[in-house]
Amino acid sequence: MYYICSMRSRKIYNRVAILRQEKVMSRKELAEKIGVNFQTVGYLEREEYNPSLDLAFRISENFGLPIELIFSTEPLKPLIEEIIQLKTKLGEP
Amino acid sequence: MKSMSMQTRRFWVIINYLSIIFILSFFYTGNYFNWTVLVLIGEAASLLLFIVSFIKGFIKTHLWRMSHASTKNLDERQLQVLLNSLKYAYSIFTIVTLIVIYGFAVAELGPIDVVMAGCLLYIAHTLPAAIIGWKERSI
Repeated sequence: MYYICSMRSRKIYNRVAILRQEKVMSRKELAEKIGVNFQTVGYLEREEYNPSLDLAFRISENFGLPIELIFSTEPLKPLIEEIIQLKTKLGEP
Repeated sequence: MKSMSMQTRRFWVIINYLSIIFILSFFYTGNYFNWTVLVLIGEAASLLLFIVSFIKGFIKTHLWRMSHASTKNLDERQLQVLLNSLKYAYSIFTIVTLIVIYGFAVAELGPIDVVMAGCLLYIAHTLPAAIIGWKERSI
């Protein structure tokens, strides 16, 4: 007997657009660095496409940030808020 | 590089497939009745429309290049889009072919001829690209 799994993929939120703009990089430049078509960067930034784990790691390596700071299954807060929260958690002033 | 809008892409894809219907209609009208000047002009105009719409809808939009590219040259999203379009194209082509074959049988026209087979092969070949052009916002 065959079972059909109906796992619906969740929306993955990301900070790719903001990080790219921060690095003053064009979509084409980022696309070349992570090895995808520049249209795919657009799809990622608009959150219309969920990247594979491999692509997500390539993006995080490119920005030099941990993967969980770039991608999330919940809407992302501004990066500064996230850093303050992290510092509070670590007990840093 | 400015890409064609989704509406324009859809328009040319529809025109392309309509032109095939026109080509076949004029061909069978000429074949079963008479090749009058009007039928010949209609056939020539349909052929011209077919060529123009093919260039506009498949070549200029890069749909043809994408659907015929080696998988090594496509990224993961493009591969996903292509595989999805192939899945839809397979189903649509099966239905179209069944309708044509049974249509010929019901109309007692015998087996499908070379012209119809050629058109079906063209549809089979271009359907994945047409589906991508229809569904995707940017290519």
